[in-house]
Amino acid sequence: MDFTIRAATLEDCKDISRMILELAEYEKASDQVKITQRDLEQDGFSKNPFFHGIIAEVPEHHKSREGHTKVGYSLYFYTYSSWKGRAVYMEDLYVMPEFRGKGIGKALMSKVSQLGLAAGCTQLNFTVLDWNKSSLDFYLKQGCWDVTSDLGYHCMRCEGDALEHLAQGDL
Amino acid sequence: MASFILRKAEPKDVSDILRLIKELAKFEEMEDQVILTEKDLLEDGFGDHPFYHCIVADVPKQHQSADSHVIIGFAMYYFTYDPWIGKLLYLEDFYVMKEFRGFGIGSEILKKLSQTAVRTRCSSMHFIVAEWNKPSIDFYKRRGASDLSLEEGWRLFKIDKQNLLKLLAILHAVQNGSTAERFV
Repeated sequence: MDFTIRAATLEDCKDISRMILELAEYEKASDQVKITQRDLEQDGFSKNPFFHGIIAEVPEHHKSREGHTKVGYSLYFYTYSSWKGRAVYMEDLYVMPEFRGKGIGKALMSKVSQLGLAAGCTQLNFTVLDWNKSSLDFYLKQGCWDVTSDLGYHCMRCEGDALEHLAQGDL
Repeated sequence: MASFILRKAEPKDVSDILRLIKELAKFEEMEDQVILTEKDLLEDGFGDHPFYHCIVADVPKQHQSADSHVIIGFAMYYFTYDPWIGKLLYLEDFYVMKEFRGFGIGSEILKKLSQTAVRTRCSSMHFIVAEWNKPSIDFYKRRGASDLSLEEGWRLFKIDKQNLLKLLAILHAVQNGSTAERFV
């Protein structure tokens, strides 16, 4: 199947927002999505963007059942390893179910890798949910390894009241 | 020992930052993994688009460390993005030299980071901890941190440069026509 991989633009935010919700539904967490199309426009396409996007697009004659031509995306940003330096973090990678199995996911991830390498990064990091076997298998096949399993690193979060208390110096 | 100041790192601090990065890596038994240089830290932290930000803890000369250092703690962080909740502050490294622990320096650093997170409208502060590092896990949990790996099943994955290059080869193969795909 014919498809294009390109950098996301402001105009893509509507479809990115749609697909973020689809991915959240797949992860059984759609009620947790607070970010709107407008937030994406401001946070991703201003002078100092907090993320970058890649879009997978199909020609009109291959559009989805609901009429969409933007059928996959990846959101990524640059991070820093105090051991190795510049790194790229792939925050989201998603292809609509009816467009899977055609190499689109791999091509999106490839593009993020290409851009990361061009920016001087030496690693690509991301997180996967432990029940998501098909994704785990896909990534392990690409030569990724599970840092949580192998090194015992756990992802921690401090948010909401806890963050406010920490800021005020309460124990 | 009561007095210390916390301040934004400056280019002149890169030597101390690297020293402290290596000390922390040594504690994690990963010292040989640190390939970053002072030059990298300078370019990547103090250019037009810094990849990281750093806070350092500075003590007066009369309180310098056993090996004569006045920069005795640091935190390295940057901003990330969660498409569900927006901006986040990611804490990459956080360390206070052993002889300066127990004086509240770590707590003050964490407080300052949290204030930065709140001020820049971040929803959350994220970081990773090794599961064997019980004192650190307790320190963070006491302050309301939750373990996403345990509670939500998140596993951190990594792909290194060698495999990134292989992935890139896939892109090139596709571009050269093994599937009908265009790259813009």
